[in-house]
Amino acid sequence: MATQTERVYVLPGDEIPTSLIPSHPKRPLRLGPGVRHVPPSELVPTVAGELVTDQKKNSIWVEYNGGRYVPAVGDLVICTIQRSGPEYYHASITDYSSNAILPQLAFEMATKKTRPQLHHGDLVYARVCLANRHMDPELECVSPTTGKADGLGPLVGGMLYDISLAMARRLLMKKSVEEGKVAVLEELGSAGLAFETAVGRNGKLWVNSESVKTVLLVGRAVKETDENKLGVEQQKKLVRKLIKEMS
Amino acid sequence: MPREVEPSQNERAFVIQALQEGQRLDGRPFDQFRKLDLKFGDQYGVADINLGKTRVLAKVSAEVTTPYSDRPFDGIFTITTELSPMASPAFEVNRPTETEVLLSRLIEKTVRRSNALDLESLCLIAGQKCWSVRVDLHVLSHDGNLIDASCIAVVAALRHFKKPDTSIEGDTVTIYTAAEREPVPLSWLHSPFCITFSFYGENGEITLTDTTLLEEQLRVSSCTISLNKHGEICQVAKLGGTPVEALSLIQCASAAIAKVKDFSTLVDEKLAEDSKRRDRGGLLAELSAENDR
Repeated sequence: MATQTERVYVLPGDEIPTSLIPSHPKRPLRLGPGVRHVPPSELVPTVAGELVTDQKKNSIWVEYNGGRYVPAVGDLVICTIQRSGPEYYHASITDYSSNAILPQLAFEMATKKTRPQLHHGDLVYARVCLANRHMDPELECVSPTTGKADGLGPLVGGMLYDISLAMARRLLMKKSVEEGKVAVLEELGSAGLAFETAVGRNGKLWVNSESVKTVLLVGRAVKETDENKLGVEQQKKLVRKLIKEMS
Repeated sequence: MPREVEPSQNERAFVIQALQEGQRLDGRPFDQFRKLDLKFGDQYGVADINLGKTRVLAKVSAEVTTPYSDRPFDGIFTITTELSPMASPAFEVNRPTETEVLLSRLIEKTVRRSNALDLESLCLIAGQKCWSVRVDLHVLSHDGNLIDASCIAVVAALRHFKKPDTSIEGDTVTIYTAAEREPVPLSWLHSPFCITFSFYGENGEITLTDTTLLEEQLRVSSCTISLNKHGEICQVAKLGGTPVEALSLIQCASAAIAKVKDFSTLVDEKLAEDSKRRDRGGLLAELSAENDR
């Protein structure tokens, strides 16, 4: 991530100063979410947020916290099965929008004879493999190259929490503590609680543990961090307070 | 029309299991209400209630019309409820959903039919002119427990409202503007409040008050009791759902009394605060046209 002394915030339609656009001798410039290319050479932001550039990868994008999730290829989402059709499951990624399609054979080791039995209301951790503005999105629970699940598939037990899209993105970052500034889950783990989580880019967090109290604690910690926009120090204080309350 | 979204099986099973272990999702005790915020607007008769994330706005307005021909001595009092599309994409403006119909019926029975507002005091000239008081209730955000929040909003707004002062000479009614004479409050007899109890478990053995939206979607039955602080019950509504032990209902009624007394004191306090804020310099007592006699 390019270290800039000051952050640049843009509104849709703003002009991006050419000094900020990175250049690389070999790689072409890659546009991430929130930036659109207007030929011949104009770059226009389409959402309001912080303009971020990366010198190494030669890319430019906008970090924003929207309300509605727009499916993008490669995203990991937690979806809820609504009904099962002849060859596909219909799963809901976001409330009040059309359902996504999950092929019944897109699971690890699934053949026509051995299909997973999923019912209305079951949760599935899947990856978006087709996302087009004009069509219903498509999901898969298996890696397209290796054929292995890699942790995708039905989620059993546990509890589902709603989090903001920006929080989901920060939790899914590779270095969520340094770059995403989300230390809650690490702190709770080092405090001795045993739990597992799955984060959906569509704003959903799934938590499971043997004890109900642990799940409630983890859920509350993440939701409070999200709603009150706590910094790393405040998150540590929150975790200490919750652990004390529990014991 | 987008349908209401149902919770997943995982959430369902977890919430019930947590309740059986004595835990609620947000850590509250089973009988505790969320933080209740009551604000009045600059105009008389506007009340804004925040109960956790549920937000309800009530606005009272009055105009002079002819009374109903079969009730020449009474004024007209209507309550309209609107579940705003701001609260959820499942709500549309002129298409009432089941929640909306139930909400407006319960508020009607609680406030109108219990004669909380004295309708005869709204009459100006018998058979010809009377006040028509109208309460518009808007639900801006839905996170459960709309009934309790709406009732507080309606009662607070009606008690806050002041109608223009009038004087009658023979057949002519003179209505004074706020600049000429200070408006007068409505003739309010008693303040009814609703408390909703939700039941969980196979036999409805677990009782919760002030449920969030998720808890509401998972309940097996619910009972709304409306009463005022003197213990006079206006209505008890248990509309279908799993049968519940009679003893639980009696326990709910006694819990409701305690809660209603809290609500009454809260509304009284907020009204007193608001009138003190408006009454700068203590001149309001002199401006009022009411006689002590």
